[in-house]
Amino acid sequence: MTTASSSSAPDTAAGAPPRRRLPFGGWALLPLAGAVALIGFPFASDDLFWQNMIILSMLFAIGAVGLNIISGWGGYISLGQSAFVGVGAYTVGLGALKVGGDPFVWVPVAGVVAGLLAMLLGLIAMRTRGHSFVILTIGFLFLLQLIAINWDELTNGTQGLSLPIPMWDVAYQYWPFYYALVAILGLSLLSAWRIRRTKFGTGLIAMREDEDKAATVGVNTPVYKMLGFVASGVFLGMAGGVYAYYLAFIDPRGMFDIVISVQIILCMLLGGRATLWGPVLGAFLIEPLNELANQQMGGGNSRLLIFGGLMALVVLFLPKGILPTVHERLIARRARGHAGLVGARIDGPLVIGERTAPTETTVDPGAPLLEVKGLSKHFGGVKAVDDASFVVPQGSITALIGPNGSGKTTAFNLIDGTMTASAGEVWFDGRRIDRLPPYRRAHRGLARTFQITRLFRDMTVLENVVAPLRSFSWRQLNASAMRGDEAARAEEVLTFVGMERFVDQKAAALSYGQQKLVELAQVLMLDPKLILLDEPAGGINPTLIDRMGEMIRALNRQGTTFLIVEHNMPFVLGLCDPVLVLARGTCICEGTPEHVQKDSRVLDAYLGDDFVVERTVEVAR
Amino acid sequence: MTEFLQTVILGLLVGGVYALLAAGLTLIFGVMNVINVAHGAFLILAAFVTWTLWDATGLDPLLSVLVTTPLMFGFGWLLYNATIRPIREAAPSASVLLTFSLALVIEGVMGLVWGNTSHAVRTPYFDQSFAVGDIFLPKSQVYGCLLAIGVLAGLWAFLTKTWTGRAIRASAVNPQGAELVGVNVAAVAAMTFAVGVAVCGAGGSIVSVLYPFLPGSHYVWISRLLGIIVLGGMGSLPGAVLGALLIGLGETMTTTYIGPEWATAVPFIVIFVVLLARPQGLMGARLREDVAL
Repeated sequence: MTTASSSSAPDTAAGAPPRRRLPFGGWALLPLAGAVALIGFPFASDDLFWQNMIILSMLFAIGAVGLNIISGWGGYISLGQSAFVGVGAYTVGLGALKVGGDPFVWVPVAGVVAGLLAMLLGLIAMRTRGHSFVILTIGFLFLLQLIAINWDELTNGTQGLSLPIPMWDVAYQYWPFYYALVAILGLSLLSAWRIRRTKFGTGLIAMREDEDKAATVGVNTPVYKMLGFVASGVFLGMAGGVYAYYLAFIDPRGMFDIVISVQIILCMLLGGRATLWGPVLGAFLIEPLNELANQQMGGGNSRLLIFGGLMALVVLFLPKGILPTVHERLIARRARGHAGLVGARIDGPLVIGERTAPTETTVDPGAPLLEVKGLSKHFGGVKAVDDASFVVPQGSITALIGPNGSGKTTAFNLIDGTMTASAGEVWFDGRRIDRLPPYRRAHRGLARTFQITRLFRDMTVLENVVAPLRSFSWRQLNASAMRGDEAARAEEVLTFVGMERFVDQKAAALSYGQQKLVELAQVLMLDPKLILLDEPAGGINPTLIDRMGEMIRALNRQGTTFLIVEHNMPFVLGLCDPVLVLARGTCICEGTPEHVQKDSRVLDAYLGDDFVVERTVEVAR
Repeated sequence: MTEFLQTVILGLLVGGVYALLAAGLTLIFGVMNVINVAHGAFLILAAFVTWTLWDATGLDPLLSVLVTTPLMFGFGWLLYNATIRPIREAAPSASVLLTFSLALVIEGVMGLVWGNTSHAVRTPYFDQSFAVGDIFLPKSQVYGCLLAIGVLAGLWAFLTKTWTGRAIRASAVNPQGAELVGVNVAAVAAMTFAVGVAVCGAGGSIVSVLYPFLPGSHYVWISRLLGIIVLGGMGSLPGAVLGALLIGLGETMTTTYIGPEWATAVPFIVIFVVLLARPQGLMGARLREDVAL
């Protein structure tokens, strides 16, 4: 645990990678001191009351550190964490009783079983979001409890099972349980610390901030979600196994107890979610309260009242938890009197290094890069996109214009995979992509920005820009969150868009125009062949619009193709060729800007069928 | 064959009561995007109130709907304004955790007041049945189901015929739009929550006649109700009715042909299968999500 303590104390909220400049270096000693005290305690005191309390605190801490991975970073709340306690407990109990061997031998097995179950649940959860996931975890917990109750022959039902009595000398008290949990807690903290510093961790946070967006920049969200859940369950399964041996008795209601889930959530919330040490702090606060409720107040109903009430209070009045709140106060005190950077001017030269596309294809100007064939999307009776077909030639800056509601953004959503089409095909770079998930399309070199910018708000600009992933591999998950070459490339693209001085700003603190620029920089990290820009000039000032146009041209000269949705006609007509016109969900006209401006169908679409130019002119006279 | 018919009819009778209970839950989700995990606890609370009324006065539990419905309406309205309203803008997970903590507190209070023992309301007709040919229709099930249908019809009339009801439906479909045409969405949310809890209160009175209950029963009930609205499509009222009938059937079928101890597994299995195969549920609306972007 000493390894985990360096520079991690201030690692809060969005949980930035180590920030050397923060003046809390000395705080790193706190966890170190805690670790020493924890390891040395049994030597200093033989009081079993306290040993018991620390053992249970560690159980909660392991649960909360794990939960923090999927909930604090990944953004998915699980009410079913105690299922892992139960699964671990029954693995150890049944293993020791039915197969044999020392119960401790079965503890790693408990971790594996818990991990496999988490993986199974993760598979089911692949397509579920937010609320459905919570429901799923509740169902998972209660179903396992029901199985433990009903499968009499194996589990002895509600009667429960008695485990072997420990054989070691009484002089050692609870030491083996104690140090087993110290080791598991150390491992879980180490893995959480490591996860936070890898692509896996930043991917989880990106998922929390905006799951659809994360997928469009290449994050394989289903796998990340599943592995996040596995990481949250493995160590708790092991701890549950030790807990079973410690209690020497297991039964379905005590092991698959939803109140334990609540206590684990409470530990994480109270200490501070998305921090490394918050869950541990929370656990060592909650467990003494648990003892108090059980010993002094008779458990049962008072336990429910205390923890139910406390969770309501924390959600209402301390939603961020202790550590982040303290951290914010310190930051606020330090920042007092300094002017913000957010209002600074954006300028600088338009230079960008050569792209290093993963799969370089020969740029063949004029050949179709993106081909949409008969694409349709229906929302109930509304045909947002209706049999649209068009081609984006390689090396072009193609515009997609059309009146409001003509289906432009929906078309983008279908092309990048945020939505699935009702019918039709999308071909990109010679391959059919309309059945691929969004991240696979991003890996192929298809990038998009959003009409209303969608940055990961709680991440810094730099973290936003290095979040995109050009591919998926299992090794990538363990890769450092920001490699040297990525940092250099990020600096380059940020300099290109003129935002290099904002690297440490939270994305949420930027103005709308600045967010547009960062979002462009972000997708440039994918080295895309085609960038879909949704209203790049919308809501930003004229100078910035000109600059945006120059950037698009500069990138295009280097071989990037663009498809641009935009309402600012001078901007579009000056920049793009060809122009595609969408009306009522279908492509009604395409050609050069001059051609499109004269086309009667286009005038109809924008101005209405009954609009007659001459008559209006007469009225005006 | 008789056994099968008997099972189907029992399933539908049970499902009718489930439909009433799930209606409030899905309504609250549809309007507020809040999963009211305390719904099961509200239901058991109403059952205990019914039990107390019956114990003290001998009032027929099905008549006490007239008491529990307004009582739970007021309780829901107060609770919403005191606890859920402040976090309306917070992340969705906050509301789940909050309603779950409400469920725990209510469970604890019920344990203190009524004790953690099983309660049941014994009506004079609790062991009587109507016989139709070879098929038996337990009187309490029939009365309970009829009453549930009546309350559901009343809810439907309220939602379609009154201004408040239409405001509730408008807020469910498009909160911004409703706000623009003069609906006070915040007040409507409080009203919806209260109506949802009130309907659940009526359901609690019915449940007290049909099943024994104790404070901890709310977990089984909330699991069942969540299974119903996931199956029907979260936020869809017709979906909740369909889901309730299917889950009711699934449970009675399981009881008859597999074993009563596995009946409570039905909602969980349904949750897993639906989320895997059709996450939007049977009648879940596939609304376009890009309008606001």
